[in-house]
Amino acid sequence: MSRNTEAALVGLAAALAGAGAVLAPLADGGLPTYDVLLAPVVFLAAFGGLLLAVRRWAGRAARTLLPLAAFLTAVGWVEVSRLDRDLGRLQLWWLLVGAALAGTTLFVLRRRGVGVLRRYRYLFLVTGLGLLLLPLLPDGWPVRGLTLNGSRLWVRFQAGDLYLSFQPGEAAKILIVAFLASYLADRHRALTVMPRRLGPLSLPEPRQLLPVLLAFGVSFAVLVYQRDLGASVLLFLVFAAMLFAATGRFAYPAAALALLAGGGLAAYRYFGHVRLRVEAWLHPFADFAGAGYQVAQGLFALGSGGLTGTGLGAGRPDLIPAAATDFVFAAVSEELGLAGGMAVIAAYALLVAAGFGIALRARDPFRKLLAGGLTLTLAVQTVLIVGGILRLLPLTGITLPFMSYGGSSLLANLVLVALLARVSHEEGS
Amino acid sequence: MNPALRRLAAACLAGLALLAGGLTYHQAVAGSGYRDDLRNPRTLLERATRQRGRILTADGVVVAESERGAGGDLVRTYPEGDLYGHATGYSSAYFGDTGIEAAYADELRSGKDGSLGAALFSLLGGDLRPHQVRLTLRDDLQRAAADALGDQRGAVIALNPATGAVLAMVSHPGFDPNILASGEPAEGDALAADPAEPLLNRATAAAYPPGSSFKVLVAAAALEAAGLTPDSLLPDRDELPLPGSTAVIRNSDDGFCADGRTITLERALAVSCNTAFAELGMELGAEPLRAAVEVVGFNGTIPFDLPTAASLLPFDGLADDPPALAQTALGQRDVRATPLQMALVAAAAANQGVVMRPYLVEAVLDADGRETSRTRPSSWKQAMTREVAAALTQMMERVVSDGTGWRAAVEGVRVAGKTGTAEVPGGAPDVWFIGFAPVDAAPGEPRIALAVLVEDGGTLGEDGSGGSVAAPIARAVLTAFFAG
Repeated sequence: MSRNTEAALVGLAAALAGAGAVLAPLADGGLPTYDVLLAPVVFLAAFGGLLLAVRRWAGRAARTLLPLAAFLTAVGWVEVSRLDRDLGRLQLWWLLVGAALAGTTLFVLRRRGVGVLRRYRYLFLVTGLGLLLLPLLPDGWPVRGLTLNGSRLWVRFQAGDLYLSFQPGEAAKILIVAFLASYLADRHRALTVMPRRLGPLSLPEPRQLLPVLLAFGVSFAVLVYQRDLGASVLLFLVFAAMLFAATGRFAYPAAALALLAGGGLAAYRYFGHVRLRVEAWLHPFADFAGAGYQVAQGLFALGSGGLTGTGLGAGRPDLIPAAATDFVFAAVSEELGLAGGMAVIAAYALLVAAGFGIALRARDPFRKLLAGGLTLTLAVQTVLIVGGILRLLPLTGITLPFMSYGGSSLLANLVLVALLARVSHEEGS
Repeated sequence: MNPALRRLAAACLAGLALLAGGLTYHQAVAGSGYRDDLRNPRTLLERATRQRGRILTADGVVVAESERGAGGDLVRTYPEGDLYGHATGYSSAYFGDTGIEAAYADELRSGKDGSLGAALFSLLGGDLRPHQVRLTLRDDLQRAAADALGDQRGAVIALNPATGAVLAMVSHPGFDPNILASGEPAEGDALAADPAEPLLNRATAAAYPPGSSFKVLVAAAALEAAGLTPDSLLPDRDELPLPGSTAVIRNSDDGFCADGRTITLERALAVSCNTAFAELGMELGAEPLRAAVEVVGFNGTIPFDLPTAASLLPFDGLADDPPALAQTALGQRDVRATPLQMALVAAAAANQGVVMRPYLVEAVLDADGRETSRTRPSSWKQAMTREVAAALTQMMERVVSDGTGWRAAVEGVRVAGKTGTAEVPGGAPDVWFIGFAPVDAAPGEPRIALAVLVEDGGTLGEDGSGGSVAAPIARAVLTAFFAG
């Protein structure tokens, strides 16, 4: 892809946001607002600026990343803004902040590259775990946890009347992937040999297994204390996948899946909210007014969309609980239909393929694991939430990268793209 | 490291491919199921915005249409109020759909459902506007039946014996479908909870003891299986002690039916002679009776556009229980019949023994009023031989010309019929008239068969009988038919 094509595609995404801001209110019988101008300007500023930052500090990066991220952000923004104009405007600010943060990431890494991140791996680990546990801070502190929708996965900074809420899990996932990439890049040989025997099982040195058990422990703690099924499963699967990438041994993902199954069964048995989720997954219409309500409303939205959708602004995605956040995919599929939903899935597939391409071509194990791990979070997160909406998996509340409303999520994923771009820039020749 | 990364990439892309498959399933395969689910709030909201076709009577009276309400939403209205309530049913966001609104929901709905199929159909010049449904009901007969029934609880159903087209169908107390379609939910709940059961369609979905109107079927069994003729002689008694029981069968006036010696089958039917038919029932036995009633639809389901209740004659142990057999032959004990079923009995006699499949929808029309499909009459059962039908007709005519059904007589028309007065323990009798006219229809000349049922003796209460309460209602409907 030429540089001009890349720039044109980013411009197209900005135009898409503007066009959506025109169409959605018209279908509803209203008139477009100044969002029509604001949205393309902000999209051009954010992604154009990021494009310039990539050209300046990661000039040899794959050119597919930014247009895909811009496209997904634009489609998501159009739906979020159509659902709630004020959320849409807030999201534009988050987009600017996120692009600035991603540009800053590239600026910081401009001389020494991503390799510098290896030095700070324990800082990342501590910060990541700290962020994950931050929501447990009690009420009344300036920085405190916040329970929303039954899950304690928010943190609120409070200074007088001003406050800022965010989900630290989104940043934590990048930090933990960076830690794991660094840790596993050093240890992958030790983890590959399995000198110990336990009956028919070959095991690595127990000391080497520690991080796996730690991963399981952290995920489970997150699940138990924060009721955050989504982040818990995401972290755990990404851990397991990165262990497999580092060692090439199926034993790790197999053991992880066994642990996941065991943990899942235990959670099903002992946690009411997990049992409720599973029941709602298997029989969404049995407890229609209760646990199954959101899944059922999502399915109604999908069914009402049909092949070509109701048209932007002409559907009723406002009937789905959490339509602008976790269920934004259902909202998009209602209004843009199977055609629009497929386009979105295809964009994720291209982004994931590009990410793995970068990992395959990266010049050393750390960069391979970093790019692979970041891409895995994107893919796993997408499959978890969309699979939950489509009833392929139990529903785990988690955002859809780039598309869901939410500052923390958008910021984290834009930084993720910047890191992928930088790894791509540094690939070996 | 790369082989593992490749595997992971394949796994992730496979996961995304699964998403694509799941999305296709939900949107393209299962989609219409979700769209039409009553719990889908879109379904309810859509009712307010989506056109729905009209329902008309055979003579063009609009009985259901969609009108723009105050807020610009479409409101389903029923201009004739409760007159057609049981036929049209209602289409309600809160209570769902019933009646023809439910049975012909697909035709009445606009084809514009946002699907690709609909879009293609429209592109190719297809018409997505909702269709209209034309009923077989005739407004004049419907009104005549409702007026004649008045405030009495009961049902009238009239049909064309040659086709099965239902010409009138009234059930009282009825309900105004407007209340259920657009009124307050509390009003609809009150209708559903009303002990008078206004939502029950007594014409098709309620079964009553048929009383002496059942004698038509006993006579048919006697003609068919026992080889009797209308002139066959039966013993005439004033009382018939039932074997192995203290019960005694008497006639309605506690006297003899004729001269106290013998009575012809024809005369026994005309005067509704209980002793003669009870004895006939015991002599016939259970099997011939079973054959005669099941062949017109008892103990089975009548195919119809609306929900029907089954008419029942339980045969368990009946063969070994002569007293039960005697009471069964009088349409008492465990026999239960719907007015629709009894109308089909009369129609079978009128139509040379052939029962046509009853139907309520004559044709489906497009939005411009052109017929897109028309119900083709089809025979449902051969209930009796042509000869038995002719003999029954001859005997039933005597019921009206010279028997208990004289109040159903219409000047200048040969009417055949049978009355029924079913005793209800501890209450007033349920009274019946079933019949048809004209007896001497030329080929192609229209005919009408009907059944009238009035609960609890109607306005006459305990003194009510089929002849005094139900026959005059039949006469009113027949008069309207021959005047029209």
